[in-house]
Amino acid sequence: MSIYLPIAELSVNIWILFGMGAAVGFLSGMFGVGGGFLMTPLLIFYNIPPAVAVATEANQIVASSFSGALAHLRKGTVDIKLGLLLLVGGIAGSTLGVYIFSELREIGQLDLIISLLYVVFLGAIGTLMTIESLRAIRKSKQNGGSVARRPGHSGFIHKLPLKVKFRKSKLVLSVIPVIALGMLVGILAAIMGVGGGFIMVPAMIYLLRVPTNVVIGTSLFQIIFVTAFTTIIQSTTNQTVDVVLAFILMVGGVIGAQFGAAAGHKLKGEQLRALLGLLVLGVCIRLGYDLVVTPDDLFSVIAAGEEGGH
Amino acid sequence: MFRLLSFVLLFVMSVSVAQAKEKLQMGLSVDVVPVGSDFAGQDIVVFGAIESADQAELYRGEYDVLIEVIGDLQEAIVRKKDRISGIWVNAAAREYRDVPSFYSLHSRNPIEDVVDPSVLSSLGIGIKYLKAKPVDRGNIEEFLTQGEFSSALRRKRIENLLFSERADSVDQISPSLFRAAVSLPPNVPIGFHTVKAHLFKDGKKLDEVTQTFEVRKVGFEEWIYNLAHEQSLLYGILCVLLAIFTGWFANVVFRKN
Repeated sequence: MSIYLPIAELSVNIWILFGMGAAVGFLSGMFGVGGGFLMTPLLIFYNIPPAVAVATEANQIVASSFSGALAHLRKGTVDIKLGLLLLVGGIAGSTLGVYIFSELREIGQLDLIISLLYVVFLGAIGTLMTIESLRAIRKSKQNGGSVARRPGHSGFIHKLPLKVKFRKSKLVLSVIPVIALGMLVGILAAIMGVGGGFIMVPAMIYLLRVPTNVVIGTSLFQIIFVTAFTTIIQSTTNQTVDVVLAFILMVGGVIGAQFGAAAGHKLKGEQLRALLGLLVLGVCIRLGYDLVVTPDDLFSVIAAGEEGGH
Repeated sequence: MFRLLSFVLLFVMSVSVAQAKEKLQMGLSVDVVPVGSDFAGQDIVVFGAIESADQAELYRGEYDVLIEVIGDLQEAIVRKKDRISGIWVNAAAREYRDVPSFYSLHSRNPIEDVVDPSVLSSLGIGIKYLKAKPVDRGNIEEFLTQGEFSSALRRKRIENLLFSERADSVDQISPSLFRAAVSLPPNVPIGFHTVKAHLFKDGKKLDEVTQTFEVRKVGFEEWIYNLAHEQSLLYGILCVLLAIFTGWFANVVFRKN
């Protein structure tokens, strides 16, 4: 059954989109990530214009992160104070990101920058995650049990001024790295069409030393607001949010996430992280391959209205 | 008596004038092609008649009708990728004005059998003879076969079904009546399209008629599109509210399970 997308201005198969939403939702439920880093490239492979894919994905992530954050709020695993501070940086970053997005679109390098950012960030995070989790798996095999990470106080991050106490995370931290991290993720979220959980979560664990139990809830909590804000800014600046596309993906996504979460409970934390790391690396290699290999067609055509505003 | 004579004279004159001036009449099956949520392309019918033609020549099939469907003239940017430090990057670009967003040509026989290429070229009929104005050349029209950028533009449009030619899509229902089925692809551009019918005999153009139809988003699609462009802030907020509601709804539904 095909459906016409009013903003993307093309006719697509509703079940393929629904299936994509459900498949990515399954993985995101399983790994506790938003899945934007999988969905946006998938949409682009499916011929959705990158500008529409990125902006629409922000809208979809509002739904999946809200659904996830509600569960974490109920369990009490959200550090609201930390989340709000990250959000301050996030809003600023997102504004800047949408502006950069429009500029890149104007000069015709948006697709390239999106691909490059994906390759760089997915490559780095995928590699780190895979190595770290393989190490953990090896250790847990030696010890016969899972390892408890004791975050130590290291690096300059914990020597910065303007320290604030985060009761829920049992941390005393400077606001500078928190806002900076929020801002970096906000910029990336706007340009790449992701929630940024895949950067936020490891950064919170390894840089800020936030306890793992509040990391995902807090990250989801702030992602709701950053992606909601990005959706509104993309709507007003670029008019590229396709609500029909977003809704199909949302419905597929939230359903898939339920099954994914159930599947995720059957695996150990480090096994999940290893699988996620490999998945991230896979997407990275796929996108990187497209950048290096000689394209079938060197030419591309952009009609008026598809680019550079109106 | 004088009156009768003048009538006869007038009649003879009008017939002989008509003999020299064959005319085309044309109608379209639709004025508006609605693009709704289930839009997956549509066929429209162009029908018409050759009037005041020589009956004998009509029966011998000496007249030919070519039908063009031409979309809005738009700007288009063609980019070429180049390898820069190992990565394929959009490098050179050319911008064109007055590129038809859509073009399809319909005829009963291959057009170059009917009309001499030099005539087609001067009339700009056929994909081969489409023109556009490169912005960097002072807006002077050039054929879309000149140079790699304009050729790429033409090729891309053909690949995307936006430029097409069909030599079997005009049916002659009777010697003077014709009918053409024009199929609009799912990605047919929104906007006004012009249908232009040309009448040819012995490779010479005798007449031309035009009509327009509009491809327009209707109902929900029209509403969404207008909201997104005219009330973009409200639209953005509604998108967010829809997402929050969906997220909440999913959470409630699946919690009970």
